[in-house]
Amino acid sequence: MSENNRFANNSEQLSLDDGRRVKVLSPGMMVFKRFIRNKLAIAGIIILVFMFVFSFFGGLLSPYRQDQVFYKVDSANKEYASAVVNTEYRFLTKDGSALSTLVRANFSRVVKDVGDESLAFTADGTEWTITRLGDSFYAIGSAQELATVALLGKAADVKPNAGVELSDDVKNAAIEAVKANQLTFDVEGQGYVLTRGKAKSYTLSTVGEIAIASLLAYDAHSADDAATIGSYAFRRNGELALKSGETQFEADGETFTMEVEDAQNALIYRAGESDTPVATVSNVIVNPVNNGVFLPTDYKSAVAEAIAEKQTAFEYLNADGESEKHTIVMRGNNYIIYTEQQTTLIDMYALPSLAHPLGTDDHGMDVMTRLMYGGRISLMVGFVVMILENLLGIVVGGVSGYFGGWVDTLLMRFVDLFNSIPYYPIMIITGSIMDAFEINPYTRIFLLMAIMGVMGWTGVARVVRGQILSLREQDFMIATEATGIRVSRRIFRHLVPNVMPLLIVQATMGLGSIILTEATLSFLGLGIKYPLASWGSIINAASNIYVMTNFWFIWIPAGILIVLTVLGFNFVGDGLRDAFDPKMKR
Amino acid sequence: MAAATNVVEVRDLCKYFPIKAGLFGRVVGQVHAVENVSFSIKRGTTMGLVGESGCGKTTIGKTLLNLTPKTSGEVIFNGDTHLDALKGKALREFRPKMQIIFQDPYSSLSPRLPVGEIIGEAVREHHLVPEAEFDAYISRVMKSCGLHDYQKDRYPHEFSGGQRQRICIARAIALNPDFIVCDEPVSALDVSIQAQIINLLEDLQKEYNLTYLFISHDLSVVQHISDTVGVMYLGNMVEFADKTEIFANPLHPYTQALFSAIPVPDPTVKMNRIILEGSIPSPANPPSGCKFHTRCRLCREVCAQKAPKTMDMGNGHRVTCHMYDPESGYGKA
Repeated sequence: MSENNRFANNSEQLSLDDGRRVKVLSPGMMVFKRFIRNKLAIAGIIILVFMFVFSFFGGLLSPYRQDQVFYKVDSANKEYASAVVNTEYRFLTKDGSALSTLVRANFSRVVKDVGDESLAFTADGTEWTITRLGDSFYAIGSAQELATVALLGKAADVKPNAGVELSDDVKNAAIEAVKANQLTFDVEGQGYVLTRGKAKSYTLSTVGEIAIASLLAYDAHSADDAATIGSYAFRRNGELALKSGETQFEADGETFTMEVEDAQNALIYRAGESDTPVATVSNVIVNPVNNGVFLPTDYKSAVAEAIAEKQTAFEYLNADGESEKHTIVMRGNNYIIYTEQQTTLIDMYALPSLAHPLGTDDHGMDVMTRLMYGGRISLMVGFVVMILENLLGIVVGGVSGYFGGWVDTLLMRFVDLFNSIPYYPIMIITGSIMDAFEINPYTRIFLLMAIMGVMGWTGVARVVRGQILSLREQDFMIATEATGIRVSRRIFRHLVPNVMPLLIVQATMGLGSIILTEATLSFLGLGIKYPLASWGSIINAASNIYVMTNFWFIWIPAGILIVLTVLGFNFVGDGLRDAFDPKMKR
Repeated sequence: MAAATNVVEVRDLCKYFPIKAGLFGRVVGQVHAVENVSFSIKRGTTMGLVGESGCGKTTIGKTLLNLTPKTSGEVIFNGDTHLDALKGKALREFRPKMQIIFQDPYSSLSPRLPVGEIIGEAVREHHLVPEAEFDAYISRVMKSCGLHDYQKDRYPHEFSGGQRQRICIARAIALNPDFIVCDEPVSALDVSIQAQIINLLEDLQKEYNLTYLFISHDLSVVQHISDTVGVMYLGNMVEFADKTEIFANPLHPYTQALFSAIPVPDPTVKMNRIILEGSIPSPANPPSGCKFHTRCRLCREVCAQKAPKTMDMGNGHRVTCHMYDPESGYGKA
């Protein structure tokens, strides 16, 4: 009774075609419904959407270009100048005279033994005299033959050479000297030298000063003064004054004053001028480390002073009136002067900051921006290669499966052949071929995609062939033949839609592995090349152990992106597979 | 065309499947699926085809429709159309005249198409009705097959086995065929549904003057629906007669054994079953002489040596057995 009542109470009858009945879903809609119930698949979709937004919109929003190099200004304690206390004699010759290297070498050898004496030596077949003018200050003269002095018993005779006139004072002095067995003598400030010849005869020569040798270096304060301090008289008189402790000297008609620090260091001014010196005299030679840097004389004298006082640091007021701190390090006989200098450097391995959320890489490029652009390439390579693989695979597998027979055998043996080509050696070889031809990085991407597609289609072909072989024997395919439906329609209306689910799952799962392969190739340096980036090539930085251990922010994010993307594709692929499986409950 | 009384005439139909082996697919033998089968079906009648599993019933059905190419023999439709002569487009355009209903209603419908599309696809392909009347036509066909109009947009997975079989029938009927091969259309269905489908087929036959080849191993169904019955054993048709004749007077020992297995729904009737011993021999290596001699209770020496001739016993009752051939030497032994 109660049963009947239940039906009776339900006064409203629903007919079978009532609109309120549960809506019938197409297979596609059912797949979609099953798919969106899969939490893991939704997680995968969210990851992938994030990756696409990050890569394709991130690149647009990023303020930087992918190959933009960042620089930083840094101050570094760099070598600025070097100084040496001079122990080599410097020579200045009179105009029109020359000192050969041999003479200079002989001088340097002999002068060590000279002491305070004047001395003669022979070089280049000429007599040379060294005359001490002061402490470590010598005049070099060359002998000029004037006469022959012959000793005849107790008498001596001076026979002048042709064209030479000798005063009686000189003659007498020469005779005296010969008798006294003295080989040098002075008459009225002019030096004479007697050289022993053969058979008790001597050759009388004058000593003509042609050069001075000194340990001191002269630096002009300005380029205008270079000629002034190059003058022989200036140098000779100046140094004589310095050695004798005088503060004033004349040269070339000008009067100069000296501000003497010690016997080796002085500043020379023009008389009446006291602010800008003409020259610095010092036994310390200061040279800039970098070419093109002009070291002012006051800097040089500051260095010399510091060295003389054995200081390790000094302050120097530069042309702008700023105080620069310089440090001196002694290295052997040399002094190296360091100073803090401003330099522009590529901003490598910058730590994460607001401007660079993930820092900069070894090229000084923003890692975040490169990740975005790299994502574009990684995803694009994934999709293009996947489409290429599937196009080839579907055509070959479809033809093979649909027509069967010898076509199938032939194509499948071809697939076997392709499968037995070792993948990585081929990729490495093509990579190095592309390197050898220096292929443009942009063209390289397309070649890479083409090669990866051509190498990877066989799996798809096999799956499609197998699926079509089994579908072909299904009753509904026989029914299409029995009802006389044309071949193209049978393939595209009946076969393809039934193969599609499997292909979609395969392709989605395959995308992950293609991205991994591309990352591997780029990591090995065979794939995407600088200045373009892909996630794999970004991780390549970690092959440097220094980067790997110290700069996590360069390679960890790229690794995380790859892992997440592949995971996302696999989640979605799994979800699609489950959703397409008709055995799954709604 | 309508004048021809025989919709289908089959003469000496043979179908051998090659057995391939080895690396190069060398043919090492042949499965004799159908051998020298001849029969004809009159317009508007149903021929039942019975026999054990694997005796070649389904192969006959598919070979008739040229779904699998025959090895030799002739199939003539409507008295004048030789199917062998039709190739490519001509064959495709002739297809609607002869349809097939499969045993398995699950695999015979494409899971990705809605029902209306499955039924109407070939109608549209062959331009059987003008585009404007298309929807109405499909609705009418569906209705006549016991399907509802609103089910047009549904997909096969939403239907039960019986409904799916109705869809298969609708797909065949929609093409307005002369001849339908019903390849065990009810064996996959439960008994109550079987009756519905059988009745539907009978109703449609009356409505459209259809001719059926009804393949079944269910003798009661065949007895119910058929006008003539052919009995097959290992690729040969051993007996062919009108339904009433063959059920009343089965001549071939195999037919007798087969019919003795029909259950009688009456517990008081003592059933006199003829038990066949052994199992059906391999069609790849059929026995010599009469193929049935290995299991025949009336087997004599001649049966193993000579293939029997087909004898016409009157009323179109044909039987292939040495017992009914006076010249065979069966009686002498």
